[in-house]
Amino acid sequence: MSLETLRPSPAFASVLPIEYVDLVEHGPYTNRSGDGSKQTVKVTDMGKFKEVIEEHPMCAGCAMTLFIRLAYIGMPNPEHTIVVGTAGCGRLAISQASVPFIYGNYGDTNAVASGLKRGLEIRFPNQKKDVVVMAGDGGLIDIGFQGLMHSWFRKEKFTTIMLDNEVYGNTGGQESGMTNHGKVLKMAPRGKFGDKIDALGLAKVAGVDYIARLAPTNPARVARTVRRAIMVAREVGHSYIQAYTSCNIEYSIPTPDVMKDAFEIEKERYGFEEIVSPEAKAYLDEVEKKPKTKKTD
Amino acid sequence: MLIQDNLLLTRSNPSGQGGTQFLYRVKDYGLAALTGPQEEISMIHWEVEVIKFTTPETAGFEVCHSTELADKTLKFYTDKSLNEFLQKAFQYFEELDLLEKMLPQES
Amino acid sequence: MANVKGSSVCRTAVDEGKPADWVPGGEKQTVVDPMEMFHKLPREKLFITGSEAARESMRRANIDIAIAYPITPQSESMQQAGYLYDEGYIKEYYRGEEEIGTFSAISGASRAGVRALTATSGPGLMRGMEAISSWPGARTPIIMLNMCRVINTPLAIQPDNIEMSFLLNTGILLLHAENQQDFYDYPLAAIMASEQVDVTLPAVVSVDGFFCTHARGPVEVTPEEFKLPPRDGWRSAVPAMDNENPPARISRDAPIQKSNFISYHMHASWQQEVFAAVERSAKYFDKYLGGLIEVVNPDAEDFIIASGCAVSQAREAVRQEGEQGRTVGLVKVKSIRPFPTEQIFEAVKGAKRILVPEFNQAGWLHKELCAVLYGRCKAVIKDGPRVFGGMTMPTEMIMEWLAEFRKEVK
Repeated sequence: MSLETLRPSPAFASVLPIEYVDLVEHGPYTNRSGDGSKQTVKVTDMGKFKEVIEEHPMCAGCAMTLFIRLAYIGMPNPEHTIVVGTAGCGRLAISQASVPFIYGNYGDTNAVASGLKRGLEIRFPNQKKDVVVMAGDGGLIDIGFQGLMHSWFRKEKFTTIMLDNEVYGNTGGQESGMTNHGKVLKMAPRGKFGDKIDALGLAKVAGVDYIARLAPTNPARVARTVRRAIMVAREVGHSYIQAYTSCNIEYSIPTPDVMKDAFEIEKERYGFEEIVSPEAKAYLDEVEKKPKTKKTD
Repeated sequence: MLIQDNLLLTRSNPSGQGGTQFLYRVKDYGLAALTGPQEEISMIHWEVEVIKFTTPETAGFEVCHSTELADKTLKFYTDKSLNEFLQKAFQYFEELDLLEKMLPQES
Repeated sequence: MANVKGSSVCRTAVDEGKPADWVPGGEKQTVVDPMEMFHKLPREKLFITGSEAARESMRRANIDIAIAYPITPQSESMQQAGYLYDEGYIKEYYRGEEEIGTFSAISGASRAGVRALTATSGPGLMRGMEAISSWPGARTPIIMLNMCRVINTPLAIQPDNIEMSFLLNTGILLLHAENQQDFYDYPLAAIMASEQVDVTLPAVVSVDGFFCTHARGPVEVTPEEFKLPPRDGWRSAVPAMDNENPPARISRDAPIQKSNFISYHMHASWQQEVFAAVERSAKYFDKYLGGLIEVVNPDAEDFIIASGCAVSQAREAVRQEGEQGRTVGLVKVKSIRPFPTEQIFEAVKGAKRILVPEFNQAGWLHKELCAVLYGRCKAVIKDGPRVFGGMTMPTEMIMEWLAEFRKEVK
């Protein structure tokens, strides 16, 4: 692994950047067992350890940022993970993480991840490398739709996480395929025509092995869901997480009310849902039955 | 691969339609074997003309449909069948050359 | 993954129906030094189509992954890549969803540090252009075979190399194969050049579709027991996206979309470096191809400068001119990027007339030549004949243009 490839001499320990030292000694990199099932960095300790992502230029109160931080905590093996993204708000935070980030072209995430994952398997046949796509609703369901669907149908062994803020936030608030019917946004001056695209339904039809929908209301659940999705992608097939990550700017949610909105939307139409294929379930049962598996969440 | 005996010239199809042309020469006669592009690869074949060279020095020729070998463009679908024909043709051209020399020269 | 062994590999060749004791073809090959392969190994003469020449090239290229998407006239070659995968000469292979997906995926594969190959033609190249034009900046060595065809409306599948003009300013290495032989040799050379540390760029080998891909020509190939050295993912101008580096922010592709002076500078210096790397590749092509240009009749007053199929037609014109007692020179431009400016200048500095025949409407080679020879070369540089949309360029046409040219420029 990375820390084995380039291990600083102990003589230099005292002059290493504090960021590096913290990541290794007080961060998630070495605080996990080999197969990723044991997690010693806990969601409940957030703020007390060095996170993979800390500084970011996201808007104050952005729910997406919270979700992204939790997702990085949930990664079973961040030192062997590569994240792929595309244009959108999310990448402003994701690109600040201490996990390699591929910022590709518009909507190319799932195609890039397909080639990347297969390439990594050729190059590292004895080391699992986790590939995670984290992109917005527009990047995946609109411009990236074709790549998304085909990666699902091909059962590419990586995880797709949709940061669903139901709007094009980064370009200034245009309606997306995941916007709800009737919502007035830029480029939908008379209200969104058509319904929010049923991405979960599409994932089911495509035979995605692990599908989850959630809002970032329960931090431990976010981390656990991300970890389960990545584990399934390692061994079974594709996994897809759709996360409600509201845009408090374009939807005019007062900053102090962002979490209140998340709870309300969760209750109304974004409740936690997991759809797991029999193969994925058998695998997760196998992984999670180990004694120390569930310790964090 | 076609046989290389009596091969005068290998060139790209001078008509510009792609493919390769082999020019064989035995005395004044010869063969022009052309294989051009086909949309279906399996349809690739040889088109062969019996030719008569117009000068001893250059590769200039005219198509000749008046020999006993062929009165039209011939088609071959394999190198093997064309090679067999080439061998026969070379022998024929040698004999034809001898015969033509025996004929009284026109004045 | 099908042709790779390892405890973590998701899917194996056995899963795809190969017997347990199956040995992939690639594992029976021996790695040779590229210079040995290009210049010393014995060669067998075959008479095969350009697509078959591409297959034989790929067989010896030690390719890790090939991603295909069909389009005429490329399909034949990428089908052949599929057979090579089945035989075990390529480790991984699949059909992508379409060209943007295919060329994005191939960039993902290259980022993983493996040798990646794809191919396309005309409209496919245009469709994937957003992805393709991002390859050089991402510093992804990729080999793409490009079987040129018409792109403009009305649509046709005929040969026409206008699409190459769209690659000229991308930072991609671009070779133009004249015939089936080149289409065997050039991809191998392009792979080795593109993966050099001081290059680390994608390479495209273009060939005029149908005329070469779907017609037979003589090709001398090296023994199939030998293959190129594998790509070394550790040797690269930028780290592979494999997370084999110490934990740090290594977002190589991080957005620099801020509107401030630092981001302008970052983009500008990055692009300068890409185009400098293109120039640095010249020394490798020079070595591998035995020069970036080929010159026939160097002392001539009249020259033809051409690339691709136009070279073959010009060669025959030069021969026929010779039969008629006129010496005409020929410069074959093998490499379009890097463009061999100095070599061409040296070759034609005594020339009076330069004719540039092309298989496209735009005359991009003529424009390139005018741009680099302007003010340095006394010759008149005339564009033509130009044929496109599948039109043919008979040898006589070039000769007629030469005759006319001699009348125009005494």
